[in-house]
Amino acid sequence: MSKAVPQPVTQLIDAFSRLPGVGPKTASRLTYYLLRAPDEVSQSLADALADLKTHTRFCSVCHNITENDPCGICSDSNRDTSQIVVVEEPLDVLAVERTGAFNGLYHVLHGAISPVEGVGPEDLKIRELVQRVENGNTLEVIIATNPGMEGDATAMYLQRQLAAAGVKITRLARGLPTGGDLEYVDSVTLMRALQGRHEM
Amino acid sequence: MRIEHLSLHNFRNYARLEASLPSGPILLYGANAQGKTSLLEAIYYLATSRSPYTTSDRQLINWNVERDMFAFTKIGAEVVSANQVMNRVEVTLTAGTDGLNGAHLQKNIRINGVARRVMDLIGQITVVMFLPQDLALVEGPPAERRRYMNITLCQTDVVYCQALNTFEKVLSQRNALLKRIAENEASPDQLDYWDDQLITSGAILMAGRQRLLRELEVKARRVHHDVSGGDEDLELQYRPGFAATASSSSGQLSFNVLGLDLNRQLNADTIAEQFRDRLTGIQGEEITRGMTLIGPQRDELRLMVNGHDLGLYGSRGQARTSVMSLKLAELEWMHDTIGEWPILLLDEVVAELDAKRRAFLLERINNANQVVLTTTEPDIFTPDFLAHTARWHIHQGQIISTSD
Ligand SMILES: [Zn+2]
Repeated sequence: MSKAVPQPVTQLIDAFSRLPGVGPKTASRLTYYLLRAPDEVSQSLADALADLKTHTRFCSVCHNITENDPCGICSDSNRDTSQIVVVEEPLDVLAVERTGAFNGLYHVLHGAISPVEGVGPEDLKIRELVQRVENGNTLEVIIATNPGMEGDATAMYLQRQLAAAGVKITRLARGLPTGGDLEYVDSVTLMRALQGRHEM
Repeated sequence: MRIEHLSLHNFRNYARLEASLPSGPILLYGANAQGKTSLLEAIYYLATSRSPYTTSDRQLINWNVERDMFAFTKIGAEVVSANQVMNRVEVTLTAGTDGLNGAHLQKNIRINGVARRVMDLIGQITVVMFLPQDLALVEGPPAERRRYMNITLCQTDVVYCQALNTFEKVLSQRNALLKRIAENEASPDQLDYWDDQLITSGAILMAGRQRLLRELEVKARRVHHDVSGGDEDLELQYRPGFAATASSSSGQLSFNVLGLDLNRQLNADTIAEQFRDRLTGIQGEEITRGMTLIGPQRDELRLMVNGHDLGLYGSRGQARTSVMSLKLAELEWMHDTIGEWPILLLDEVVAELDAKRRAFLLERINNANQVVLTTTEPDIFTPDFLAHTARWHIHQGQIISTSD
């Protein structure tokens, strides 16, 4: 970037372009938009950014991101404490919550086992989960890691670690999308659905 | 099978092309770098979702648009199968908001207008491609021959293709884990999951390759016998990557049974059992060396003529002829496997052959419903051949004349 551009501008462009999915072009566009926009726009963005880190923490029970510890779900006495859904990321909690079909608790691992990326079991909240299950009144652990290889590896590892705890361990079914004709389902999904078929 | 219509947007040096393709042979001629090969590449890409010439999809995007914010390339075809069913297949490559500088290139596939996955392309268009670089099947490194087996099998076998996909990912994860274990950063019990995946997918690959080579050899041998006037006996020797390091093995298992013995074709389950035994025996060594030491990533295929290894002892001419025999065998194999003739793509190979072999090749390819050939020298073809061949002059990314 040339010297004609003031340093605060290049600094913000730099910061934006480090975000996932934002390249240098989008970063400049966002920066110049903020330059031209009323002061309130950039001020409220700055406040939001500052609050993001200072006003959030991880729930000491489920390790989801929260404002208060324990989080709203963990401290809700109406939730069924005998079931725990284990997910990779905080966003996965939202996805399960949106279904409205689950009233138990969660456990966020913050990733999945992937030796290539240097992520081993000890880098995830697995020990915390085992302790939680051993010390609590959990009856069922529902493993909801992603259906990929890393998610599978994590699920298998969890299953072993939890085997001694004497609880029921289940894994989300991988099924067919509803509302679609069988002939239009892609072969990977169909093959998985076939492998995961159940008796009627 | 044949392509009835091909349409290209911003593909290589084609800004835009809409072409109806006749059945039978189509000869693309013209000077170099005008776009003859790119046409073959486009068809090949639709069949396999990869280019035979480059591993980087972004090279496929027309350079005129590569700086555009939403640069894209689109390849589409209408394919008619033997039972006269017509399907529309389309692949779009889109660059991110930062043009081609962005890291990500998105690949979208549509079949008859419906969004699909890459795997679903399999079987829509089946091709056999023959190009001068195929000489690497004899002279190149083993990876070339594994790639050849993978591409051939992937076009006809979804299960194989899935297994290949899994295997490649598992192998790099497992190697990374072995390295971590070697450096005391992980414990060996974490290997179990990756071992299971490696064994299951790897055994499917080995069983598939064994079957392919066995079936291919019967045909290649016959073709080669014909072209050599009965002088040469061509053999495809499968050397599975199992016993590559035998030092710490139990010494009990013979992996020769994986060879091309017609009566002892092994299925994936049997191979998996042996694979597991071997893997267990070699675990200590794998941890010490920090990598996976056995498996189909070490498979080798050798072409033998009259008992001699072509890669070591053959002449250039012999190698070229043998590759031609292999390719013609592949054409027949595809036909038997999918139940119709695949589309045949010949890039500049005809010029490399002597008159006798050229005549042999051109006669044999008549079987296919559609053959697309490229050449810089249309004169090397006989008037007989040209009489029933559509001739297209390709110049600067355009078809400037057609004579059907
Ligand atoms: Zn919580």
